[in-house]
Amino acid sequence: MRIAFAGNPNSGKTTMYNALTGRNEKVGNWGGVTVGSKEYSLKKEFAGDNEVIAVDLPGAYSMSPFTPEEGITSEYVRTANPDAIVNIVDATNLSRSLFFTTQLLELGIPVVVALNKSDINEKEGTSIDAEKLSKKLNCPVFKTVSVNDKNNGLSDMIGKAVSLAGTTQKAPYLQADIDLHDKAAVDAEDRKRYEFVNKIVADVEKRKVLSKEITVQDKIDRVLTNPVAGIVVFALVMWFVFWVSQTWLGPLVADWLVGWIETFQGWVADQLANSPAILSALIADGIVGGVGAVVGFLPLVMVMYFLIALLEDCGYMARVSAVMDPIFKRVGLSGKSVIPIVIGTGCGIPAIMSCRTIRDERERRTTSMLATFIPCGAKIPVIALFAGAFFSGASWVSTLSYFFGLVLIFLGALLIKGITGYKYRKSFFIMELPKYKAPSFKYAFRSMMERAKAYIIKAGTIILVCNTLVQIMQTFDWSFHVVEEGSDQSILASIASPFAILLIPLGFGVWQLAAAAVTGFIAKENVVGTLAVVYGLTAFIDTEELALTGGANEVAMTMGLTSVTALAYLFFNLYTPPCFAAIGAMNSEMKSKSWLFGAIGLQLGTGYTVAFLINQIGTLVTEGHLAAGFVPGLIAEICMIVVLVLVARKVRAHFDEQYALHKNSKAGAAA
Amino acid sequence: MEDKIRLLDAEVGKTYTIKEINTDDDEMNAFLFRLGCYVGEPITLVSKKKKSCIVVIKDGRYNLDQLLSDAILV
Repeated sequence: MRIAFAGNPNSGKTTMYNALTGRNEKVGNWGGVTVGSKEYSLKKEFAGDNEVIAVDLPGAYSMSPFTPEEGITSEYVRTANPDAIVNIVDATNLSRSLFFTTQLLELGIPVVVALNKSDINEKEGTSIDAEKLSKKLNCPVFKTVSVNDKNNGLSDMIGKAVSLAGTTQKAPYLQADIDLHDKAAVDAEDRKRYEFVNKIVADVEKRKVLSKEITVQDKIDRVLTNPVAGIVVFALVMWFVFWVSQTWLGPLVADWLVGWIETFQGWVADQLANSPAILSALIADGIVGGVGAVVGFLPLVMVMYFLIALLEDCGYMARVSAVMDPIFKRVGLSGKSVIPIVIGTGCGIPAIMSCRTIRDERERRTTSMLATFIPCGAKIPVIALFAGAFFSGASWVSTLSYFFGLVLIFLGALLIKGITGYKYRKSFFIMELPKYKAPSFKYAFRSMMERAKAYIIKAGTIILVCNTLVQIMQTFDWSFHVVEEGSDQSILASIASPFAILLIPLGFGVWQLAAAAVTGFIAKENVVGTLAVVYGLTAFIDTEELALTGGANEVAMTMGLTSVTALAYLFFNLYTPPCFAAIGAMNSEMKSKSWLFGAIGLQLGTGYTVAFLINQIGTLVTEGHLAAGFVPGLIAEICMIVVLVLVARKVRAHFDEQYALHKNSKAGAAA
Repeated sequence: MEDKIRLLDAEVGKTYTIKEINTDDDEMNAFLFRLGCYVGEPITLVSKKKKSCIVVIKDGRYNLDQLLSDAILV
């Protein structure tokens, strides 16, 4: 048996779904967190002996989709024939929610209405006569509070839905038989529906505080959405998040953790003392060392996830989106693009998926193309490693990485706007500002643990396999003879060397660094893991101790990088294409091969150009001369510009043609 | 003809009746409709800035950009 969860955005569908299934899907206090359907069986206490699958759907205002994620919902309830629908209604906004409710009631599938967030109504003195509402709608109505563990009304509500499965719903309001292509007729019908809804609301709802009264929340909003103060606050908030996670609390915990990892590595090496040297190197250095180097950074990532979860939960994201809208408009995007970027500080994949809430196709594709310029959780270890080894742990390295990522997003958006020849379709921006709520520490903790679990699993699988392969490839040559550590004869060296040549103009043309950058495309943590393996280092994070023992210098010396080339290498890894998984996500969101290849090309070009400029200009400033490989690098840059111009000309040549096609069919748009 | 003013010229804290919505975009008009933003319905201006404003429509608060607020006449 399948029960679909449908309702307006930000009515609390996923929170309810999590409570009923015990899952830990992402929730947040803004509309459009869930962008795809998810299903899982109900907990035993709710389902009894039945096998009940709950289906969580993206929020929708009505059956006619406006953005792609809304379409998923209407498509599902129309075609997938769920056995019952739980319509989650935001009880604080009954007057808007019931429009969709009356549409759902017309489908014939039994509907149970959950008046969610009823606790807020109680606090604000709004009363809804559930019994009366139930009579008017012809369906059961329950008051629910999904965020509460007890007395939340969920058990009764879902029990009723299960018992109704398979019955037929009688609609309280039926749309007249009209020609759906006749716009005027449809409009008139929709008006009638709203009149019907308005009458019900007037009958069942009593408000002590009218929505239009100015509250404390509005006063806060005035500051947070102020074009100057709002942006300053946002910058401070993000700086605080990065500072706590990457400079203060994160490293503090990581320090302690790394101590344990080293002890463990030592213990493993002791156990292997009598085994062949190759085996010991493979297990102690390759597996434990490489994976350990990545896991050592886990505390930084966890603290970051925790803080971002708090931000997402309190309602601040919608305000950020609103305050950033005018700035993003200048580069052809909108405030909607801000949310994927903030989510991107955690992980690029959900960030790219959240682009679905953007209505305009060009804007949506552009955002998913650029969102990963913001360093994600997997890039934190890379940043922390370089900040520690080359810049004595300076916090400006991470701040600069994020800030520069944002600059690249703006520049990239301008570039894409130029290439695609910005279609002057009016880009409207409307964002619901949800009520603020105190963020739940319990939820943030759970969300952090969930991500930590994923991180450890990744370290134990993909990273482990990659490290093992790297270790094996650098131990043997092509005829499987053991070679000396760091030898140019190894398999790894011979594969990575051709890539390394390309990197000479960037200042890091050695095979070890090239290999780490390449494995980074599989997963960015690999950069750290591979460096640990090829240079036989583990204690990356412990900067203070490293400094005392000269370790930081040792790391820096082994890699043979100056601070200029180190920064170039770091930025190269940050701004080249993200991992394969993110590229896969881009592919499914863009639905266009030329956009996908454009995205990969743009990211490769950006990473290369940034590293080239930093290396050449940096060397010129610090040493008074250009770095090696300036001319070949310049030629590469010129080639990129030529490609860009050619692409732009091609796109623009097809532009008119495309537009002409677009009027008759949609096929022309997918170029 | 009645006097119509742009939303950004309206007074903060006051509730108006929507007199005209014209975004030149049918889908956008339909979307606004579903939020309860259509001719004849009340709208309250909570705050305004040079290029955006916050309004109450039904029981929800929304941030609108200049383009959209210019398309709503009250």
